[in-house]
Amino acid sequence: MEGWSLTGGAPRGSDGGALSVSQAVQYAADALDSISQLTVLGEVTGFRGPNAKSGHCYFQIKDASCAVDCIIWKGAYAKRSFELRDGMQVQFTGGFNLYKATGRMSFVARSFTLAGEGLLRQQVAQLAERLRREGLMDPERKRKIPAFCTRVAVVTSFSGAVIDDVKRTLRRRNPLVELVCVDAKVQGEGAPAQIADALERAAAQRPDCILLVRGGGSFEDLMTFNDEALARAVAACPVPVVTGIGHEPDTSICDMVSDRRCSTPTAAAESVAPTMADLESVTAAREQRMVAAMSRSVADASASLDASASRCVRAWSAYVGRLSLALDAFAARPCLQGPRSFVDRRRFELEQGAERLDAACARSFERAGAQFENLAPRLRAVESHIASFRHELDLAGTRLGRAGERQVQSRAASLGGAAAALDALSPLKVIGRGYAIARGERGVVSSVAAVHPGDGIAVLVADGTIEATVDSVRLDADRL
Amino acid sequence: MAEYKNVDELTYKEASTELELIIRGLESGEMELEESLASYTRGVELLASLRARLADAEQKVSLLVKNDEGADVLVEGSAADTSDELRL
Repeated sequence: MEGWSLTGGAPRGSDGGALSVSQAVQYAADALDSISQLTVLGEVTGFRGPNAKSGHCYFQIKDASCAVDCIIWKGAYAKRSFELRDGMQVQFTGGFNLYKATGRMSFVARSFTLAGEGLLRQQVAQLAERLRREGLMDPERKRKIPAFCTRVAVVTSFSGAVIDDVKRTLRRRNPLVELVCVDAKVQGEGAPAQIADALERAAAQRPDCILLVRGGGSFEDLMTFNDEALARAVAACPVPVVTGIGHEPDTSICDMVSDRRCSTPTAAAESVAPTMADLESVTAAREQRMVAAMSRSVADASASLDASASRCVRAWSAYVGRLSLALDAFAARPCLQGPRSFVDRRRFELEQGAERLDAACARSFERAGAQFENLAPRLRAVESHIASFRHELDLAGTRLGRAGERQVQSRAASLGGAAAALDALSPLKVIGRGYAIARGERGVVSSVAAVHPGDGIAVLVADGTIEATVDSVRLDADRL
Repeated sequence: MAEYKNVDELTYKEASTELELIIRGLESGEMELEESLASYTRGVELLASLRARLADAEQKVSLLVKNDEGADVLVEGSAADTSDELRL
């Protein structure tokens, strides 16, 4: 370049005097163009987004002592991976440019990336987004932490003040909470792995929850809690995890995936147990409830007892009333009212009976007397009949006597003749002359055929009977 | 009726839970009088125990450390220092 020397003297005009503005600006522009591509780290300021008409971005970048205008052409800005915002630390790559019409120098960035904490924040945001999409931050994943955790594990560094803060907070708030403290490095190389290991060891102690706490620090200090492996360990921990990392408004990924996020370690410690005063008021309220319920029970029982008693009394008096009515009815009966009446009635009945008997007897006698008087004339009438019958009877007697005599006389005469004849014919007369009559079992034996040898026979003779046995029989042919 | 465990053997939470159940039972009004009296007696015992524990509570702190064999063991730790309580 003519007349240009970085070490030499200033260029001069053609007339050896002053340069025109154009010459001077061109001179400067050439000088800027000669600077090769630069990468500049600066903080974005005055950024208002792409120009509405042109689409180019105009803003400034600065550091502690200097600032420079910065331009990103529309085409370059379209290739961005994040939105620029004021305050961001960004690395811009490009070169200087001088706008000759105004003589203003700008840095024209062809590309830009986040730098330092900004870069870290971007990476953290991307990780958070990924884990959120996986569902690790879903509200329904968050486990319920008991209102009163009586056994609490604390995972933090023993070297910091945080462990003492937690102990002191819970001692003051609720000394019934038993603490199991687990030491772990909370920043620097290897801290995430140590914390993940400490969480696992703490969970094995079966606490009600685990406090994962750390005091405040720079963004870089808190990067431990943005570690993906540690975030996954927190989400997978079998015991609910309460985080209190840094100070409000720090939020780490561990906070996002934990079951409860508190803004500070102290707030985390306070969130796991009620105060002693709360417990005392709960206990007092329970005592009241219990006493009230018991009183109600007793009052109910007593009321039901009273009701039973009055029912009992009513039932008893009704029963007694019934009995008393029945007794009154009995008492009103005449027999009990006056025993004499009973006798009187019987006497009245007896008297009535006697009167009826008297009357009946009198009537009976009267009737019998009348009948008796009627009988005498009838009896006298019958007497005359009897006299005539007696006379007839006398006559019949006489006639019967005479007829009988006649009958007897004639029969006596014929009987005498028959007796004489009979006497003449009597077998006894024959027997008297020596004849005998033999009798067997079947009567008079008149044939030898009527007896058999051995038969017994009775032989009737004139003066008695001879018992004999047949020896033999013989038929005399000449007497046939 | 269930046998009651010795109150001293219960943790604060167990005693507290049992007390709440007893109160609910009493409040239901479905217990026999004898049963509710027994429950009430037990409730009074639990209440007294809970009150005593609230009054005498002392912080228990243990540290989980690895022993020589590398296994986790609990060792007694110191409770919070109270000398600076005014500062808090």
